[in-house]
Amino acid sequence: MKMIFKRLFIIPNALFAVLILVQLLPDKPYRIKDYPLYTIGLAVALEVILLSVSFFVKKERFRRVFTDVVGVIFVFLIFWVLATIKFDLPGNAKQAVFPPPGAVLDRFVLDFGQILINVKDSLALIFKGYLIAVVIAIPLGLFLGWNTRIGDAAGYIAKFLSSISPIVYIPYAIVLLPTFHHASVFVIVLASFWPILASTVSGVLNVEKPIVDSAKTLCVGRFTMLFQIILPAALPHIFIGCNQGLSVSFILLVSAEMIGARSGLGYYVNNYANFGNYTNALAGVFTIGIVVTAITFLFNLLQRYLVRWKQ
Amino acid sequence: MNKIEVKELYAEYSDKDGKFLALKDVAFNVREGEFVSIIGSSGCGKSTLLGVLEGIIAPSSGGAYIDGQLITGPETNRAVVFQHYSLFPWMTVRKNVAFGLKQAKHDLSRSERYAISDVFLKKVGLFGFEHKYPFQLSGGMQQRAAIARALAMDTDILLMDEPFGAIDAKNRANMQELLLSLWDGDGNSKKKTVVFVTHDIEEAIFLSDRIIMLTNSPGQIAAEFDVYFPRPRVHSAIREASEYINLRNKLMAIFYDENIGISANEEYAI
Repeated sequence: MKMIFKRLFIIPNALFAVLILVQLLPDKPYRIKDYPLYTIGLAVALEVILLSVSFFVKKERFRRVFTDVVGVIFVFLIFWVLATIKFDLPGNAKQAVFPPPGAVLDRFVLDFGQILINVKDSLALIFKGYLIAVVIAIPLGLFLGWNTRIGDAAGYIAKFLSSISPIVYIPYAIVLLPTFHHASVFVIVLASFWPILASTVSGVLNVEKPIVDSAKTLCVGRFTMLFQIILPAALPHIFIGCNQGLSVSFILLVSAEMIGARSGLGYYVNNYANFGNYTNALAGVFTIGIVVTAITFLFNLLQRYLVRWKQ
Repeated sequence: MNKIEVKELYAEYSDKDGKFLALKDVAFNVREGEFVSIIGSSGCGKSTLLGVLEGIIAPSSGGAYIDGQLITGPETNRAVVFQHYSLFPWMTVRKNVAFGLKQAKHDLSRSERYAISDVFLKKVGLFGFEHKYPFQLSGGMQQRAAIARALAMDTDILLMDEPFGAIDAKNRANMQELLLSLWDGDGNSKKKTVVFVTHDIEEAIFLSDRIIMLTNSPGQIAAEFDVYFPRPRVHSAIREASEYINLRNKLMAIFYDENIGISANEEYAI
């Protein structure tokens, strides 16, 4: 009984009630039309999931994280609703730029088919660029890091180059590469290439010497040393760069798809924003957020599997 | 018959502060099937000496020979057990042993390697732990696995660099007895030649046929001792023997004698 109270009277549940009550306030006139039922529907769906998680999930840590995340989403939605249709924003805020959540959700549902196609195209672009970066950067980083003569210098050079935004290279990419699509892929490749290269080089330089000695006494060849000893030993470190590269890829997706793309989430956001339709643009922005979260989650699973041997 | 010959060996050790002479004019022989311990305090160059025998440290002059052949690099005719990281943390215990086998014997198939690995894991008491990763095992169990890999490689020579240095006293005694029983076997089969580096005098006495003591920086041979206790040896029997206590006290006296560097060329015998 005590446990039920403890799990029922948590802040996110109170926030849920506030979010529902806020909808009862009168709307300010002349705003973008809101569809509060969508907001309420989303809130109820989250609340149902939250309740079932807090009563049926045994893992303490998962429960805590999930509760906190849902709480933050509720707070965000409350402020969003209040700021866009219930009160006047300070300053000379343009109303068209601030659609209420219900309107964005409405477009999301109406345009869902189109959005899915764009998700698919963007993922294909990122996958292509990211894969090329991984396939080149990791072996190159292993080679550079292992050759102690150039390893230190390579680390610094990679760090320097990784600090330059790939957007700078866009005009060169357009001039040098055969199609706009190639240029888009190139931007993603660069976005992930330098962080992965830098972390691979420093990962190799940080491999514990006894591991290398142990491998040397077993007379491993050059190829075995690089790919069966150094690569796995440096892998936890390499993953730092891979994670970073993945985030930068998604950040640059919009820029990459500015280059003559005819589809993709970046194109979708850009296109609607250019025409002043921020309701659809925001639907695209949130879709990117959801996709990034899902990809990061899967990526973390992969990482946990590949370095399962580490304490 | 000398298996290992070390002649006029000089070696340098370099770290961020510069280069040091780690070994100065070191010369000794190890007979085939002999168990020799090298003792000295930390930083005396004993690990450098073993590094030369492993082939991963190049001497600045002189050299070490195995069966009359100068050591120029690592070779799989000798197996090594380190204090840490002998095992690769990303391989399961079985894969670690099998990896050593693969490097030592190229003609074995994977299933043969796994079968041999399991035999040696059983010998060191790790039956049932084949699929564990090193981090899931205690320090002692990790060293058992490292010994299993070294033995599975079926080399004539076994080089050990403070293999039990990070294990608690009780487990260390068990590991020492296990090592001797594996090395001695049934008493009939051909024994491996072992060079065992340690800073633990009692460990050296218990294990060895002969003990070589090094002085501090630069490492030079201070003294050599033969150890005559009959084998098979067990701690419970040896610990009480008066010869053991005498030898230990004698070694301790020399080991802690600050003038040890001066008496470097003097030979002590039991």
